[in-house]
Amino acid sequence: MNATPLALYLVAWVAYAVHFGTRSPASGRIATVSLVVGALVHTFVIGMQTMQVGHVPLVGTTGAISAFVWVLALAYLYTEMTTDERAMGIFIVPLMVVLQLIPAITNSVAARPPVLESRWFEIHVFSLLVAYATFALACVISITYVLLFKELKAKHLGVFYARLPSLQVLDGMNSRAVTFGWVFLTLGLAVGAIWLVQVQPGAADPRVQAMSLLDPKIFTVLLCWLVYTFSLYARRAFGWGGRRAAWLSAVGFAILMLNFVPIGYFGTDSHNFY
Amino acid sequence: MHLFLLGASHHSAPVDLRERIDFARRGIPEALEEVVDATGLAEVVILSTCNRAEIYTHSEAPRPVAERLSTFMSAFHDVPEPELAPHLYGRQGSDAARHLFRVVAGLDSLVVGEPQILGQVKDAFAIAAERGFTGAALNRLFHTSFTVGKRVRHETGLGEGAVSVSYAAISLARKIFGDLAGRRALVVGAGEMAELTATHLRSQDVGRIGVANRSAARAAALAAEVDGLAVPWEEITAELTTTDIVLTATGAPRWLLTREQVADAMRPRRDRPLFMIDIGLPRDVEPAASEVEQVFLYNIDDLQSIVRENLARRQSQVDRAELMVREEVDAFMRWLRSRGAIPTVVALRRHFERTRRQELERLAPKLAALSPAAKSRVEEVTRLLVEKLLSSPTQQLKAAPNEDAVAADADTISRLFGLDEDDEPAERRRAPGERAAAGAAGRSSAARNR
Repeated sequence: MNATPLALYLVAWVAYAVHFGTRSPASGRIATVSLVVGALVHTFVIGMQTMQVGHVPLVGTTGAISAFVWVLALAYLYTEMTTDERAMGIFIVPLMVVLQLIPAITNSVAARPPVLESRWFEIHVFSLLVAYATFALACVISITYVLLFKELKAKHLGVFYARLPSLQVLDGMNSRAVTFGWVFLTLGLAVGAIWLVQVQPGAADPRVQAMSLLDPKIFTVLLCWLVYTFSLYARRAFGWGGRRAAWLSAVGFAILMLNFVPIGYFGTDSHNFY
Repeated sequence: MHLFLLGASHHSAPVDLRERIDFARRGIPEALEEVVDATGLAEVVILSTCNRAEIYTHSEAPRPVAERLSTFMSAFHDVPEPELAPHLYGRQGSDAARHLFRVVAGLDSLVVGEPQILGQVKDAFAIAAERGFTGAALNRLFHTSFTVGKRVRHETGLGEGAVSVSYAAISLARKIFGDLAGRRALVVGAGEMAELTATHLRSQDVGRIGVANRSAARAAALAAEVDGLAVPWEEITAELTTTDIVLTATGAPRWLLTREQVADAMRPRRDRPLFMIDIGLPRDVEPAASEVEQVFLYNIDDLQSIVRENLARRQSQVDRAELMVREEVDAFMRWLRSRGAIPTVVALRRHFERTRRQELERLAPKLAALSPAAKSRVEEVTRLLVEKLLSSPTQQLKAAPNEDAVAADADTISRLFGLDEDDEPAERRRAPGERAAAGAAGRSSAARNR
């Protein structure tokens, strides 16, 4: 079922690429429309799975990836519609296509172990997915910032100069996205910790027992939290903006993706709920 | 259905002549009145900008307007005809439409793709339309030209990229800072370029423009001109810490600002960008200053090469724009020809309708016995028959491929059905003088109504 939104995201990607190249209004409309339709179909798919298994399919990395792609599609569409900027699409949609391949291939919904039957668990996962999606946008905004910065420094005005908003606008968008993401990241982590304190003493599940600061998944996400916290602090305390903030945002998101996909599948004893 | 244009532009006439034939000097409304009086035309639009003076006309019947228009122009502007005539060009039919569309698209402009022409043509059309000097043909022609102008701007890069040095500097500033409102600028030195850029900055709502010069009096003078603030010469480096845009144009033999000074100024600014425009010759800012983080340093050569690139890019879009113009000219001419066929279509319909009526009248005694319902049925059937018989000829007449074909069709139809003898369309019956008078009367009543 996850293949249909994948196909639509792929169409959107091609259309965004054509739009980036030609800047024809028609290709831009096709891009946005196919992304909107993709997100709607994706909503339907997640809804069907929820009805099928009786809970939102957030258990396990595969389900979480599908939900992440969905949140990212909505977050990107919100940004596109509020800023009227389509140039980011060519960077953000491929990420969605690549990630959506995983749920489209495996295509199964993980069963929910009893220990996860909790409101806390849903808030934990959902907050983190919102944070990840916002950081993904921040990362793409940062990459475009650096590309435009390079063109302006090199005095060679090319594709990005003609297509992107100004440096200050991009810097401001990055700052807002990181702040927003940080709030949800912190919330997600705090809720996870509260839940853990509640269930760990009596839990027999080895995965719950493995949840500690040294577990790779938990350790890496805390590292991420430190990077983003530092980025926010440095902006206020030493006026770090522009390129420095952009690099921090990109590094933070790279660690995050590493944690989300490879570590999520192979590197953790505590979060392997498939 | 005869479109004609007479005019002169920067392609055909030198600037001193263009100045003398500028319609705006005596007022375009007055010029419109006089053209109509002099030529007897009912549809006229005058386009007058600093680069062109053009008269667009339309008449239903062919008229020798070229000479009359040329005589009018020479008389109106008081330029001897032998002096003016070699610089005028005339275009008719599709060539006139193509010319207007190319003008509006910016293809005929001095700087290809310049954006103001669309607004100027809109104004010219509005002046004529408000006073009743335009009819269906010119209305359609000009509205189509606005569509062409918008299409070319949106769908090609013809109008993109700054093509003057001072505007290139403003565009760069906007790409760095976004909105320039409230930003601080500092102009060091004087000269035409400094003044021009400062004026552009002022029009962008820059918050404060500081002006520094070795001579305090000149600083004060330029400051007054651009609504800025004179800054003492010694405070330039201090000023750098709070300024966003710096323009230097002193041409002093030594660096006005070294890399060190710029780096020092950047420290308290942290990551707030500084845009430096160095148009001094020799340069005022040490080139190595551009290595400092968040400093964007452009000198006059950089700006000029941006302008050159933009011009080249515009040139590369010309073919696409020309293609759009061609499409729109074809569509417009199809419409105009279909309109040209209208008198024939009307005459043909009238002829058929009259034949139908005559036959019904002739049969009236025989039909008298019929019930009212049956009578109305006969009426309906005969009408539908005429409609059906005429539908294909009507379509074919409107789809004629060119003006000659329209005329040939009209002749053939008239001959075959004897149209000329029994009824001529109202428009053709009126003498040209009468029509002009009627047009003028319509106009003055329209003017009174406003």
